[in-house]
Amino acid sequence: MKPLIVRVALVAAVATLLCILALPMISLLVRLSPGELLHQLSQPVVLTALGLSLETSVATTVVVILLGLPVAYLLATKDFKGKRVLRALVEIPIVLPPTVAGVGLLLAFGRAGLAGGALKALGIELPFTTLAVVVAQVFVATPFFISAATAGIASVERRYTDAAATLGATPGYGFFRVLLPLALPSVLAGAAMSWARALGEFGATITFAGNLPGRTQTMPLAVYTALQNDLAAAVALSLLLVILSFSILLGLRFAPWGAAVGGAPARPRGR
Amino acid sequence: MRHGGQPWEGHLLDLAVAKRFDAFALELETTVADKETLVVVGESGAGKSTLLRLVSGLERPDRGRIATASRIYYDSAARVDLPPWRRRTGYVAQDHALFPHLTVFENVAFGLRAAGRSPADIRKRVTDALVRLDVGDLGERRPAEISGGQAQRVALARALVLDPDVLLLDEPLASLDLRTRAQVRGVLKAVLATLPAHCATLFVTHDPFDAMVFGDRIAALEHGRVTQVGSRQELLARPRSPYVAAFLGINMFRGRIVSREGGMVRIEAQGGELYAVDPGEGSADVFATVHPREIALFHQSPGGSARNTFIGAITEIVPEPPNGERVRVALSTWPALVAEVTDRAVAQLGLREGLEVTAMFKATGVTVFR
Repeated sequence: MKPLIVRVALVAAVATLLCILALPMISLLVRLSPGELLHQLSQPVVLTALGLSLETSVATTVVVILLGLPVAYLLATKDFKGKRVLRALVEIPIVLPPTVAGVGLLLAFGRAGLAGGALKALGIELPFTTLAVVVAQVFVATPFFISAATAGIASVERRYTDAAATLGATPGYGFFRVLLPLALPSVLAGAAMSWARALGEFGATITFAGNLPGRTQTMPLAVYTALQNDLAAAVALSLLLVILSFSILLGLRFAPWGAAVGGAPARPRGR
Repeated sequence: MRHGGQPWEGHLLDLAVAKRFDAFALELETTVADKETLVVVGESGAGKSTLLRLVSGLERPDRGRIATASRIYYDSAARVDLPPWRRRTGYVAQDHALFPHLTVFENVAFGLRAAGRSPADIRKRVTDALVRLDVGDLGERRPAEISGGQAQRVALARALVLDPDVLLLDEPLASLDLRTRAQVRGVLKAVLATLPAHCATLFVTHDPFDAMVFGDRIAALEHGRVTQVGSRQELLARPRSPYVAAFLGINMFRGRIVSREGGMVRIEAQGGELYAVDPGEGSADVFATVHPREIALFHQSPGGSARNTFIGAITEIVPEPPNGERVRVALSTWPALVAEVTDRAVAQLGLREGLEVTAMFKATGVTVFR
């Protein structure tokens, strides 16, 4: 039996945190009547933003997986000079304010940016395009995938890859037939996390890609815009985002491979 | 260290490798001849597993040469170093290392698929391999759904289906319980007896019984060096290190106390049972040793007070060198025993290989410890 004071402290902490986390969600939920909610959600600007958000965040997730898997493989299985630096570099976007990321992207890939000329020569103009939205999302979402996938690949026991090699599997064959399948829960979890992160991306997008309805105005940007003059629309959009994000997280927890996602199963209670 | 570009005539495996780690160095030179199983014995940390990893290419030697009859795996002088997937070694680990996400069938098919064989060919070979190892009905199961003994047989099938040039067995029986171990040992013995002529076998174990059962030749590895290599007769006759003597010199059983009465215990050990003086309370799992000199041999049981009586054929008679008038007699009793008797006894009893005899020893001659 825990001392009373410990129990009170525990309950107080949980209750306070729940208030901070859950109250905003509940407020969003109860603000609009179902009829009004449906009406708001059927507005063209909402549907356009929703479509663009899904489109860009899915594209981002695909790019993140394609570019992130090789990096995760390197980080998880090889020792090389500068590995720690690469790791830190890959993780920067987690701690960087997204607006700073946006400024950086602008200075790198903007018209007058470092790589702007080269891109222009290729006929690509990034800023204020849907492609720029994807670039901004990739920038902020990649670390989530890479850390999960790296941890997943690193946790695959060496004996399995050794066995694959002695059975005649080249490293590439072994990767796709042994390493990736065994790391799949973590890889999928990482992909879902970066999808959710891309879906919620705001700062880098508005800085680098602008806020053009139909081209770069994703849902978070639409919420921000709607807030200026139409609270109901902002609430409806926000609620939609909450539901989407919560579904992804909930899906992660209840997936057959959910145990691999961060939280270890609760320790069985001992005596 | 040998040099030269050609694989060695008449040898299936030619090994001369050196590898240094922080606190440990492995340096050995040996060969495996036609249709031979070389058993490598040694304590844990002696370098047994490292040796297998060097041969399979999972670890790279500092220098040396590893070659089979048909190809050179590694040669530091000639700068040859084939990666593991081009070496044709069949590696069976103690923990079987079956891929947990693939069915038994797909585990065995893995190497064939990697090699790009046709589906029909794969189906036939995998089915044959599974049947050969008596696990033909397990194809659709996952590794988590089969027993340890079955898993080890599947691991063997997975290695053998690729028709390897070298079979590397890393304590393949060590993780199995006693009864399963006896079963898999039988399967393994049959498999090794029917290997194709080009396949050499390196069998790593720390179990004297397995060394006796499987070793055409036995190499003792101590602290990264081979201290002795020879037939089991040679090792029994002239152990050249305390480790080898201890390894082969006494009869040692791992068993379980199943009953006790009147100061005696009955121990079930490796398929047989023996009586010993009650060692007192404690775990039922015990070790029992019997010095070969404690064992007397007879044509027929003379009756009397000795509690432990075993009947079996003589598999080997080997002179015990230090004082020339004693010989060691290996018996196919169950569990297997080695007795040590005088030259005179050999002459009186007319002991010879193949003769069935009764071996007896007193319960007081058995040392039991936990």
